[in-house]
Amino acid sequence: MEALLEAAVRLAVPLLLAALGELIIERSGIINIGTEGLMLCGAFGGFAIAVASGSVWLGAAGGGAAAACVGVLFAYFVVVRRADQIVVGTAINLLALGATGLAVRALYPGMAPVSPTFGTVAVPLLSELPVIGGALFRQTPYVYLCLLITPLLAFALARSRPGLRLRAVGECARAADAEGVGVSRTRFAAVLLGSLLAGLAGSALSLAQSNTFTEGMTAGRGFIALTIVIFGRWRPGGIVLAALFFGAASALQHRLQARGTDLPYQLTLMLPYVLTLLVLALASGRSSAPADLGKAYRRESR
Amino acid sequence: MLGSRTSSLFSLMLPLVLLVVSVSAGCGGGSGEESGFRVALLTPGSIADGGWNAGAYSGLLRIRDELGARVSHVETRTPAEFEESFRDYASRGYDLIFGHGFEYQDAAARVGAEFPSSVFVTTSGNTVRANVVPMVFELEQATYLCGVLAARMSRSGRLGLIGGIDLPSIRSTFLAFKGGAQAARAGVEVREVFIGNFDDTAAAREAALALLEEDVDFVLHQANEAGRGVFQAVAERVEKGERVYAFGTNRNQNDMAPEAVIASATLNIPAAFVEVARRVKQGRFEARPLRLGMASDIVRLEMNERLQGRIPSEVAEELVRLGEQIRKGELVVPRGAF
Repeated sequence: MEALLEAAVRLAVPLLLAALGELIIERSGIINIGTEGLMLCGAFGGFAIAVASGSVWLGAAGGGAAAACVGVLFAYFVVVRRADQIVVGTAINLLALGATGLAVRALYPGMAPVSPTFGTVAVPLLSELPVIGGALFRQTPYVYLCLLITPLLAFALARSRPGLRLRAVGECARAADAEGVGVSRTRFAAVLLGSLLAGLAGSALSLAQSNTFTEGMTAGRGFIALTIVIFGRWRPGGIVLAALFFGAASALQHRLQARGTDLPYQLTLMLPYVLTLLVLALASGRSSAPADLGKAYRRESR
Repeated sequence: MLGSRTSSLFSLMLPLVLLVVSVSAGCGGGSGEESGFRVALLTPGSIADGGWNAGAYSGLLRIRDELGARVSHVETRTPAEFEESFRDYASRGYDLIFGHGFEYQDAAARVGAEFPSSVFVTTSGNTVRANVVPMVFELEQATYLCGVLAARMSRSGRLGLIGGIDLPSIRSTFLAFKGGAQAARAGVEVREVFIGNFDDTAAAREAALALLEEDVDFVLHQANEAGRGVFQAVAERVEKGERVYAFGTNRNQNDMAPEAVIASATLNIPAAFVEVARRVKQGRFEARPLRLGMASDIVRLEMNERLQGRIPSEVAEELVRLGEQIRKGELVVPRGAF
């Protein structure tokens, strides 16, 4: 049971970081389906810098920075040029897959090396707690990062001035603009911050959950993060629960197979997705998406 | 008004340009249209996987160097791409086109019928036409021996298998592993986990951890690139002082986790590619499956010298004896019907 909980948290972390990033971006009124690509850039950037420098910390920072650079590109097209957000997001996904694949083959002919990795760090006393001790306090630093930024983000969105501005821009850009909030500036900043988090999520994959980079190693997690934002109803608390739910379902999935059940593996592999769909269908209630989500803002248009 | 229209056109164009750049970044370079012996390779994944696809690519490079052929490679992910790439190479007059995997058979048979002057070789499979043959690696012979070794040495009596996708060729190596394990020790349990792809290293690691939690102490993977996650998980347990082991597959992966990988079931894919290409170049091509196993030294069980001391001598002797029997054809290991 403890091992299952530990695995659930471990598997939830990249999803949670990416989903929190996406939350910030979507709350500003932009839909970014390029999370998968941003994560892949983060995974590669983190890996390459950790290998070159020998430091996982520099690697994690590099992963965040690499994704943030791609985020600038995304923001330029979407915020400045007001291009179609879905098209640009798709382009980012394809670009990231091609570019990281090209880079890994060019930099490491033959095979990508093994990178330094984040080990688990036990928090004294707290890690001895029954049941949740290991799951929350005997983990990699990424888990502690999540424990730190989730409440911070929840507070910022609910109470702080930048948080309120962000939400105002996402709910009604025109009204926010009339009140003197810089729509483009806010959205640009949101994309940058969100991309940074997606990049950190990607680096967790290459520096904590494995010790190398493989092409396409995000394996759809960016898209899962998108659904987690919806599932979590655009609220940090909901997103944490949704990510944990998905992490637990994935952890359970591997263990069902390892226990030697006779279920076809295709069925167990589907488990996290089926459960997510089920919960989405059962959890009724009004949608809480930002009202201006996906709408480009032009001051001059009516 | 005009200004706004051109600017939105521009906004639409740039992502498209990005798209084209990124797609072309995924493709390998083609070659010219000159005459001479020309050989192409289609792989289902990255040639930087340190295993299945990397072996094929180095085989292609050896064909270039040893046979003076002009070579070209392309990575193909979907059945539509298989067929398109086969047709592309065949229409450009390539003499020999390799499809590196079981999954290329149908596309090879279809395109092969249209281009009788090109030879299509799929790596594993059973489809034979006048100009289409599979080369069948009998990796099962080596995974059978892995099963014997694991069953003899396991303390828990529980062994694990981790696969990428449930392909018949992968299923077959698992079948042989189980056959070897059960022949060596009655009542041994073999657990299987599939991760659903060949890229997700983190999922492979998680699958290995799940198996290790179940007291599995030997893990064999057939997950190509993702298999590195298996080595990582096992190596982490070894560092904690546990006696757990992994097997490498397809290529000698003993050095990838020297304290954890006890042996590798290897295929000398490059040598097999060169042998097939030489036959085609010299006009010795025959329309029947090319079986390549331990007898021709294409398949081997390569031990990790650093861990060899852990293997009891009677088990080591048994492996040598069984290997000899397999080479002579006295011992036929189980394999899937495909």
